[in-house]
Amino acid sequence: VSDPRGAALIWDPAFTTYRFGPDHPFNPKRLELTLSLMEELQLLDGPGVRVEPPRMASDAELHLAHAPEYVAAVRRLGGDGADRAEARHWGLGTEDTPVFPGMHEATATVVGGTLRAAELVMQGEVRRAFALAGGLHHAHRDRASGFCVYDDLAVAARWMAETHDARVLYIDVDAHHGDGVQGIFYSDPRVLTFSMHESGRYLFPGTGFPDELGDGEGYGYSLNLPVEPFTEDDSWIGMYADFLPEAAAAFRPDVILLQAGCDAHVYDPLTHLRCTTRMYEETVRITCQVADEHCQGRLVATGGGGYAIWRVVPRAWSLVWATLAEREMPERTPLSWLQRWQGESPELLPDLLRDPADAFAAVPRRGEIEAMNRRTLATLRRDALPLLRGWSLGF
Amino acid sequence: MLVRNRMRRDPRTVTPDQTLAEALQLTREHRIRHLPVVLKSGELTGIVSDRDIRLAMPSPLAVADADRADFLERTSVAEVMTREVITVTPHDTVEDAAKLLYKHRIGALPVADGEGRLVGILSETDILHTFVQILGGAQPSSRLEIGLRDEPGELSRAVRIIGEELGLNIVSILVPSLPEQTRKVAIAHLDTIDPREAVQALEAAGYEVGWPSLEMDLRKPEVG
Repeated sequence: VSDPRGAALIWDPAFTTYRFGPDHPFNPKRLELTLSLMEELQLLDGPGVRVEPPRMASDAELHLAHAPEYVAAVRRLGGDGADRAEARHWGLGTEDTPVFPGMHEATATVVGGTLRAAELVMQGEVRRAFALAGGLHHAHRDRASGFCVYDDLAVAARWMAETHDARVLYIDVDAHHGDGVQGIFYSDPRVLTFSMHESGRYLFPGTGFPDELGDGEGYGYSLNLPVEPFTEDDSWIGMYADFLPEAAAAFRPDVILLQAGCDAHVYDPLTHLRCTTRMYEETVRITCQVADEHCQGRLVATGGGGYAIWRVVPRAWSLVWATLAEREMPERTPLSWLQRWQGESPELLPDLLRDPADAFAAVPRRGEIEAMNRRTLATLRRDALPLLRGWSLGF
Repeated sequence: MLVRNRMRRDPRTVTPDQTLAEALQLTREHRIRHLPVVLKSGELTGIVSDRDIRLAMPSPLAVADADRADFLERTSVAEVMTREVITVTPHDTVEDAAKLLYKHRIGALPVADGEGRLVGILSETDILHTFVQILGGAQPSSRLEIGLRDEPGELSRAVRIIGEELGLNIVSILVPSLPEQTRKVAIAHLDTIDPREAVQALEAAGYEVGWPSLEMDLRKPEVG
């Protein structure tokens, strides 16, 4: 049933087949834990909420963002033709992104989930959709990278741009730079990419600096706001709240695509940011406001990184979903969920859904970090906004 | 890395009899600073920069704009150009080219073949770009700094841990050798999003590893 104010969660157990192996940090267990928490919180039924299965993306759809030879190679390598040297050529068979059987089918289903979310939103069936398994932002046009085989975000963004003639604002709040999506749209002015992330000075992938502004026709349509290691909620949220409405007003998008990776949290083992669950709730709330103002509400969200799979991911993405679906969240983690999973968890599961304000010690250099971040934002605004404003007005 | 891999081929040029107005127009149009001066035969005979032209012009305080324009129209490139051109060949290294730029405090090097014919140009911007690419990872990677004692085997032991024990590909590794340095540091770009094991293994083997760490941050609050 179509509900222009409603929200859809894209989910199917088949999403957990996107799996690199038992000891790999990109662990589909996190999806299972998240869905279980959403169920216990009764976030998956009730008025205005629906759960929709993904479909598998077709080859033609994958070719919207990927070289046909790459898609053919992924299919071959995930079958029985795993050749080590060939895999390396495509960025596969590495420690990060090993080859696994059924790789093509599993990843095409992840892409199909994000496409399904985009379809529902663009056809007006729901206002907002959340493709939980999506967010593979490091995959490049012809190369796997950083746990990502196909780039579901780039496929969905180009699908929206081409099928619905939409101006797409892509926002990436994963702690790592969204290099794959940026690269695929680097000279395309129809998709504005905006990535906010821990500085690539040390962190993978080592890109995402403010001077990466796009190329050719797309010059001015790539925005990057790298933040210092150990950045906390207030700095992140303050800059996001200041900059996003400005960028959106300059670009005038028809739809927002949000990669909501949750690895900027203090507990995340792969990054050095010090954000809490508050950052995810606020980021999504601000994004919804901007989508309501510019895009008649149209907002497609995905997951992404998030490697504190017990203590952070289930809570963070439940908060993301509750904010998108405009559902109230209780204060406490449901006892039933804690009882079900605590035995298996190597860490003590948090009994509050939101991190308390005083849960983590303040970073000693807070003032300096905040000042450095603000300087970066000033650079980005100075260099990027005139380009965006000028060209949006047609001169 | 050789000059021929980094030079710009088919550079914009002028002939000695062209006017300064034409030369200045070319530098503006193509946003370049240097124009090699070539004879009809293709032989290099000089170089002229936008700065040379500006310095040759009468001062705007002393002369009306119209007279300045007139000066540019009636003065030939041959009157202003530098005749003793410092050049490189396509087979020189970029390091040597950088040294020449630095030593002579110039901004660009015409590249000439064995017969003195112009085949390209290498500017300080091209060289800077090359060094930026060398210093930064050219493909997605995590960046670690590895402290090394200045003795044989230090680097190879670290590389063996990363490459053989952990099976991680090294995208690039640079061990600068600077006179003021009191210690050696290898700057390594690793082909992984998750260098935790590499950091742990290197530290366990006695290396000091530079990688964001709140503990280090707490020890040195004054370092920015």
